[in-house]
This record gives sequence, structure tokens and C-alpha cells, in this order.
Amino acid sequence: MSHVLAREGEERPLLRVGLRSQKSGTGVDEEGHGVKFRLQGLCLYYGKDKILEDIDLDILEHRITAVIGPSGCGKSSFLRCLNRMNDLVEGCRVEGRALLDGADIYHRDYDVTSLRRKVGMVFQKPNPFPKTVYENVAFGPRLYGIRDRDILDGIVEMSLRRAALWEEVRDKLRQPALALSGGQQQRLCIARVLAVEPEVVLLDEPCSALDPIATQRIEDLLAELKESYTIVIVTHNMQQAARVSDYTAFFMIKGQGDPGRLVEYGETGMIFTNPADERTERYITGRFG
Amino acid sequence: MGADRAATVSIWSAALAALAILLFIIGAILWNGLGTALSPSFVFGKPQAMREGGGIWPMVVSSVYLSVLTLALVIPLGVGAAVYMAEFARAGRLARLVRFGADSLSAVPSVVFGVFGMVVFVIYLGLGYSLLAGALTLTLLNLPTVARASEEAIRAVPQSYREAALSMGCTRWEMVKKVVLPVAQPGITTGAVLTVGRIVGESAAVIYTVGLFVRKVPWSPFAPAAPMAANIWHMYTEGALVPDWFRVASGEAAFLLLSVLALNMAARMLAAFLRRKMGYSA
Amino acid sequence: MAPIGKEWLVRKALLVMALVMVFGLALVIFFIAKESLPAFTEAGPANLFGSTWDPGSGRYGMLVFLTGTVTTTAGGLLLGTPLALGLALFLTQMAPRRSRPLFGRVVELLAGVPSIVLGWLGFTILVPWIRKVGGGSGSGILAASIILAVMALPTIAAISRDAIEAVPDSYLQAAYSMGATRWQTIRRVLLPAARPGILAAVILGAGRAIGETMAVAMVIGPASVFPTSLTSPTHTLTTKILVEMGESTGVQRSSLFAMSLVLLLLAMAMVLLVRRVSGSRMPEGSVHA
Repeated sequence: MSHVLAREGEERPLLRVGLRSQKSGTGVDEEGHGVKFRLQGLCLYYGKDKILEDIDLDILEHRITAVIGPSGCGKSSFLRCLNRMNDLVEGCRVEGRALLDGADIYHRDYDVTSLRRKVGMVFQKPNPFPKTVYENVAFGPRLYGIRDRDILDGIVEMSLRRAALWEEVRDKLRQPALALSGGQQQRLCIARVLAVEPEVVLLDEPCSALDPIATQRIEDLLAELKESYTIVIVTHNMQQAARVSDYTAFFMIKGQGDPGRLVEYGETGMIFTNPADERTERYITGRFG
Repeated sequence: MGADRAATVSIWSAALAALAILLFIIGAILWNGLGTALSPSFVFGKPQAMREGGGIWPMVVSSVYLSVLTLALVIPLGVGAAVYMAEFARAGRLARLVRFGADSLSAVPSVVFGVFGMVVFVIYLGLGYSLLAGALTLTLLNLPTVARASEEAIRAVPQSYREAALSMGCTRWEMVKKVVLPVAQPGITTGAVLTVGRIVGESAAVIYTVGLFVRKVPWSPFAPAAPMAANIWHMYTEGALVPDWFRVASGEAAFLLLSVLALNMAARMLAAFLRRKMGYSA
Repeated sequence: MAPIGKEWLVRKALLVMALVMVFGLALVIFFIAKESLPAFTEAGPANLFGSTWDPGSGRYGMLVFLTGTVTTTAGGLLLGTPLALGLALFLTQMAPRRSRPLFGRVVELLAGVPSIVLGWLGFTILVPWIRKVGGGSGSGILAASIILAVMALPTIAAISRDAIEAVPDSYLQAAYSMGATRWQTIRRVLLPAARPGILAAVILGAGRAIGETMAVAMVIGPASVFPTSLTSPTHTLTTKILVEMGESTGVQRSSLFAMSLVLLLLAMAMVLLVRRVSGSRMPEGSVHA
């Protein structure tokens, strides 16, 4: 059985090879991981500009999926389709279907706020609120109506522990989050997302503003988190993709002004050792444009 | 080289002249009035007519009362308008209309607000000369400035905070309420304190809506009152009724100037304090 | 997409708050115009814009006051603009780093001085001084111009400073790199580039001077006749309204509203002019920042 899950093809790309069911989001791969996100013919426009074209892709639960590709290929825009953060861009339009657990998140009746509660996001630059460490983590739970002090304390501690930050900040909970180091701030942002108990965590180049040691800590953390969450990470760092992810999607654009396309999608090991597409190989080996 | 030298000298002189003007204003006003302004019997004393030794306590209370009433109206309205313009308005005819209204309103001379307030609030709505009529007038007068300062504070909130809030499932209003407004709060607070300075210093819009002179402390918002700035004008025009009108007006001017300078300093320090509390370095 | 409910209500409420300014302006225009109507119907425009003010014989000419407004404003700008521009150039180009905040504070504090306080100062110190040195009554156009120069100074300085600061550094570096002196750079590169903003600053300074009431009222005279010299008493539009509104009725009162209407229209013309000059929004200058 082929390890290649997706490949840009002639008519309709051949996808989801290796999945037992193709009709809904209930498919599973060989190891028994179900499909969390299923994208079908997804196109993204900003006004008249087509940013992404015809993306077909399944994202499996409890796996880490890395999205790589040259800058400007639409990786970040793709990520922001998954929690509808693109809605904030004026003139943004999405075609095709994006199914989360089988339900189309772009359907008129789909509640965006509940989507974003299920699909958390960590941004490129750490962006803790200018509040205390505690208030940052408690922000989400408070938003959803939790007022009880003991429960909040518990959530804050658990989230910080899961984000591997508790030991460093347990005595600094009442201090401003902006006083933490960059790496700590980014882990705080992860803790803030985890406190909402999402099912999916999207990370948009989460280490690009961090030094190698802080990066290492985040990568270790991701490996632990995939036991409980589905993780999608955009990265410009191919070593990082190779180190942390189970599956890798390679995006590319033909030239300036062209929309981004999914070139190849498959198990990370295969993509990096034996890519099916010549362009993937050229990109991975650094022989590109 | 000569021209460069001459220009440097002129520019330096302009700056020093501005500094000198400010120091002269403060110095001259305090020279004439500080002694009076610092005496408790003046600040807390009862005003007198036909005899010397009167105080300005009702005027002080009038100014404070008028500021509180006006702030209670203008801050919610101004911040609400600012939130709308910064977070909800789409570029279009409506937004342009609001901006034109705000810009025009901010250019209208205060004496015009004064006679407008007299016609509409004092006479037409039947409020009479009162703190409330004055507060309504001053609300309209200060609304564009408050809205603008708040809008700038709101726009200065980093976009990344908005994204973080929305990505956690906030609705737009929840985002505004829980993240944007708290972060913009130092800027908004500074604007509010400076607005108090403008309210306290305003006379032209107050004279025909609130009043010039009272003997007793006004307790009701429907009562006529006499803010300090308006009372100085009263002393200037009707001084003959008060033998020591020059002393009273000088003391009042000094007290007023000190209050406004203190409010300016307070606004700056408060903003710095609030920002530090949030963890910003400056 | 947006569910009708709390979110929708809040949005509409905020819109109403924003529209208060529009309704407020409309109300001001409406009531001032309404009150000035009798003056136009009973006295007539020719009478209203005539040169004699003598309500006893039915003459309501505002030309004296219009002249007072124009001359004092021109005088104030003549004295204030060079000073303000010098201060703005100092703040942006020359001030030693350590003294910059001090002079910035000067602008803020000058802007904060209440006009009644400045008027009191003019009445107690400036007018007697002019009387001693120059003769005449001491009050009049000269005294008013000096006071207005001080009032317009912070407005013009703050907005010009912003305009100058907005000039890209690269322009200056290009000029310096070609061997231009500081003054040559300022005169040939900086000031031309900042011209629209500086022009807007001067217009707004003029607006402030036209509308100034209390400070002028205490040094202008008052007298409802054309001035015979720079130190003879006269009136401006604002001071005439201030002094006479309380004790006039009928057509006389209505003609004071007609003067208010003129001021109102002048103010709106200024706004349009400034928008024309500076391209977009009315600048405010970070006087209160």
C-alpha cells in the first residue's frame, strides 16, 4: 500500500490512499487514526486574488501534520482556513468543503466561535495578553463561563504543566506575562490554548522567533501533546518538519500571483527520503529556484 | 555656513522663547494668586458680595461636579463611538459621515456651543441654568476629542491580541470587552483625565448654560452653579460688587492653573503606571 | 452569519453612539440657524453684513466684528507661526536627546492653559504694559494678537511636528550625504516634504484663533467700532456674542445668532480646507498624547 496520501494529479487528485472509508470524516489509516479534518477542493480567495487552489487533504487525529513550502505558497493562509481566521481578512472567500469530524465548518449554520474553541491556534510571534500569567491561561475558561476559583486554579496548573511551563512560572503566576522570556511566552500561549481543551491545535511557525534551546523545548512538547490532540504545524524549517511530524504536506506556487497548490502529502519519512514528486525533492534537498 | 548658523540660533531661540512663555504664564499667574490660592479660608470659604474676604468653595464644587457629570456622559459615548469606528465600521459612506461630524464638531468655537446649549438645554428643554445643561453642552463639545483619543488608543492595540482572542472563540464584542478595551485602557484613562482639564478650564460654553456666580454649594444637578473659570469672568465684568474682586480672580486663576497642570502631570504618570502594571517596559 | 442577538444589539448601540456626533452637529446647525432666522428676515442680509452696529437705530452690521476676528487671527498667526515652526523644528531636528521630553512637555502644558487664565494674564499684565509702552488704551488688536499667538502656538507646533516626523529619514540622509548643511536640508528637503501637514497646522491654528473667546474678550476693548490703531478697543465675533448674548432680545439677539452661524460655517469651511490640504483626515497633533 502506498504511503502517499495525496498527489497533485490530472483531473481530481488521487487522495486518501490507505484510508478505509472515503465518504465522511470517519476514515482511519492503517494505524487506526481517524480523519479529523477532511478538505475537499478547497479554494481560498482574497478579493480577486486566488490564494489557494483545489486543496484535497485529510488530517489525521492524534498525529502531527507539518505543512512546508517556500514562502508565499499559502501555508499560513491554509492553516487559517482550518479555524476560519481568514474570515477577518476583508474580501475573503472560501470554496470547496472543509469538514471537521464530518461537519462543514464553512456551512452557514456552523458556529465560528465553537469551531475556534475546538481548533486552537498558536501564532508566529508569542502574543500573550498584557495581563498576568494566570490571567492569560484563565482567559479561555473564563470566556466559557467558569468562575469558580478552585476550578480555575486547577485548569491553570494543569494547562501550564501540559505546556511544560509550570515549574518555571509557579511562583510567577501573578506577574505580567510580558516579563517572561520569548520561549516561555510561546509556551504560555500554548498553555492558554490548552486551557480551552481544544481537539486540534494549529501552530503557525511557532518557533520562528525563538532561539534553538527554546525551539527544542517546544518540539519536545509537541511530541507529548499529540497523544491528546491533533496537531497541524506550519514551518519554514524542514529539519523541524522532519523531526516532529508524522505527516508532511508540501505546498508550492508556480510563480508570482499564482495560487498555492498542494504538491505532495504523505508520511513524513517517505516525503523526506523518497518523495514522489520531483519538485518536492528539489525543495527538500535545497535545489530550488 | 552663515545661514546654517543663523538658522540654528533662530530655531534654538524659538524653542527657548516657547519655554520662557510657559514659565512666564505660570510665574505671573502664581505670583499674583498663589498666596490666595493656597489659603484654606479662600478655597473652602464662602463667597462674599459687598465685602472682602470671600472664598470660592461653591465654585470649586461646581467645577468638580460639572466634570463628574460630563465625564459620566462623554466617556461612555466617546469610547462607544471609538469602538464602533475602530472595530466594527467598514470603510464607507457611514464612516465618512461620522468622521466629518466629529471633525466639524471639534472645530466649532466653544462660545457657539454655549449659545446652542442655552437655546436647547436651558430654554427649550427647560433645564434652566444648571449643571446638567452645562454637562450636556460640554459632552457635545468634548465628544470628538474623547472619541478620537480613544480610537487612537484602541487602534494602537496590537493586532496579534485580537487574533489570539478570536482564535480562542471570542465573539467580536467579547474580544473588545475582554482584550481590546483593557489593553487600551491606559490611553483611554489618560484621555479622560485630560478631558477633566478641558472641562475645568472651559468658560465660554459654561457661562450661558451653568451660570457665573452662586453663594451656596450646588447639590442638585438641576441647580445653577458657577465653575471657577466662569466665575473669573464674572469677577472681571461685575467686579464692582466685590471689593476684593482682583484678589479673588487672581486666586481663582492660580488655583485653576495649578489644577490643570496637576491634571496634565497626573494623566502622564497614570498612563505610565498603568502600562507598567501590564508589563510593558515604558 | 452574525447571529441576531447580543452581538447584533451591541453593534447597533455602538453605531448609535458614533452617530451622536453627526446628530449633534446637525442639531447645532439647525438651532443656530433657526435662532438667526429673524435677523435675516427682519433686518436683512445687507443690514447684517453692514458696517454699523447700533441696535438703537436698527443697525445690526457685523462687519466690525468680522474685521476684528480676521485681523486678530492674522496677527496671531503672524506672531505665532514662526515661533511654532521653530519649536517644531527644534523638537524634531535639534533638541538634544535629553531635553526633548522637556520641550515636548512645554507644548502639552501650553495647550492645557485655560483660555480664561490667559485672558486674566493679558488683562492684568499685557494690557497695562502695552498702555505704558505704546500708549492708547492698551487693549485692542495688538494685545489680542499676542494672546492668540500663544493660544495657537501649541496647536501649530504639535501638528507641524507630526508632519515633520512623518518625512522619511531616507530623504534627510540623501540630502546630508550630498553635503547639504542642516539648514539646507531643512529648507530644501524637510519643509517642502512636510508642507501639506504644516499648512494644515496653520489652518487649524487659525481655527483655534477664530474661535477663541475668553482670552480675547479680556484684552480686546471692548467697543463696537472699527479700531483706529493697533491699540484701540474693538470687538471680534466671539467676544461680541459673549458680551451681549445675556442682555439682548429680539432682532439684536437673533443677529448674535447670525454671527454664531458665521462662525459655525467658518469652522466647517476650515475642516474642508484642512482635509483638502492634508489629503485625508483632519490631523490633531499629539498635543494630548
